Amino acid sequence: MSLRALAVVFLAPLLIGAARADEAFVPNQSSDDLTIVDLGAMTPGATLPIGGKPAGVAVSRDGARAYVTSPEGHFVSVIDARARRVLKRIAVGGQPFGVAVSPDGRRLYVADMNGRELLEIDPDSEKTRRVEIGAMPSGVAATPDGRFVIAAARDDNALVVVDAETFARVATIAVGRHPYGVAIDAQGPRAYTANVESDDVSIVDLAERKLIANVRVGGHPYGVALAKGRAFVANQYAETVSVFDTATLAPLATIKVGEYPESVGVSRDGGTIYVTNWFSNELWSIDAESYKITGKASTGDGPRAFGAFVRAVD
Amino acid sequence: MTIPALACFRGFVPLFMALALFPAAALAHGATPQKVVETIEIAAPPAKVWAVVGDFQDMGWLPGVVKTEGEGGVTPEIAKRRLFLASGATIDERLVQYDDAAMSLRYIIEHVDFAVLPVGNLSATLKVSPAASGGSVVEWKSRFYRAFPGGNPPEQYTDEIAVKAVSELFRSGLAALKARVERE
Repeated sequence: MSLRALAVVFLAPLLIGAARADEAFVPNQSSDDLTIVDLGAMTPGATLPIGGKPAGVAVSRDGARAYVTSPEGHFVSVIDARARRVLKRIAVGGQPFGVAVSPDGRRLYVADMNGRELLEIDPDSEKTRRVEIGAMPSGVAATPDGRFVIAAARDDNALVVVDAETFARVATIAVGRHPYGVAIDAQGPRAYTANVESDDVSIVDLAERKLIANVRVGGHPYGVALAKGRAFVANQYAETVSVFDTATLAPLATIKVGEYPESVGVSRDGGTIYVTNWFSNELWSIDAESYKITGKASTGDGPRAFGAFVRAVD
Repeated sequence: MTIPALACFRGFVPLFMALALFPAAALAHGATPQKVVETIEIAAPPAKVWAVVGDFQDMGWLPGVVKTEGEGGVTPEIAKRRLFLASGATIDERLVQYDDAAMSLRYIIEHVDFAVLPVGNLSATLKVSPAASGGSVVEWKSRFYRAFPGGNPPEQYTDEIAVKAVSELFRSGLAALKARVERE
């Protein structure tokens, strides 16, 4: 066997292993750019200039695209996630903030924070539909079957359910005070939202369209993510991540994290949680079962990463 | 117009009198949150500094504050205070974190007129640590938004002006704290 063949035999699995690590797409609002973090090594791999004070992010399910909102630039950046290149900016006006992608990757849902509306955008044709959500649309998520979009109307203290096909509002569900980040359970038809002002998480049954419970967490919760039958909630003032059991709603742990944690993401296998620390400019990784801090990566200044920022690499 | 260099809350008086008052209620915060971090070294043991800084019910060490009224002691989420400024304006604040062992507290401003401090949704942390020199280091850091975070702010309410106002306030406060503690 030649040396080259040996190299292929022994190095190929390593290369595949390296390429399979998930990535985080972290918009840094103050430094106006995007840090792509290799979540296997927990090291920043690339920085893309974005502009317009980027805050919200959504990565498509197939990992091909990332979308980043720039509230002060009034645009959404379309990013080729594999090539790590900004393809174009879609001018949307207003203050685009929360963003989600439909499961099939063909539609973008963008919350116009000061414009009361949720926008549906075809990222290719840029054709847009709008629906009124209410005061301060914030977090957005699409149901796994793609039939509904859930948006938080922060200053109305409500989650709004929008039919993805007709793009009409079909339900408004009262939750805690100032719902912000939104996550949807991949298994059960439930939505979770972190209520910044009431320091709790509202759990909504999406089939019944009613509030199931409000679960107490720490001070000023921003983001919520789901893994291993647990909810992980970043508490901005408490500087912790609260963990509770999504079946029993019992509290499981409080994990001390960095300064001003905001957004929470989950690895593809559900084994690792990622938290952006806005003040200390870091992304931390946490084991979803032992709750141990397993890594810390530097980001740019003011990482927001409001949305589903983890990219599953294939 | 521009905001003059302000050494302390007292400096806000002419501006406060000149401008129409804008309520700083819980406004939209779609804009970009800002960071300010100021530190100072004080030639006194941390416990002596914390005895002043850690008394949430007395902000008298901050220039421009003539009286503090409050309730709830140092119990997070319960403790509140109202700062009365020489100008006649008031600022309402709430304690959200208090760690006596770590000598650290965090508070938020619940109400301030933009003419007094042109910021929204301000939270701030005061922390006393031992200095390498044997004295103390006090760090005062804050996250806040400019006034009028939605859309295009009036020219006197930009991010830069908000950062400048908070930086100058913290610097003047820390300098006064140092002078007071080192004098005692």
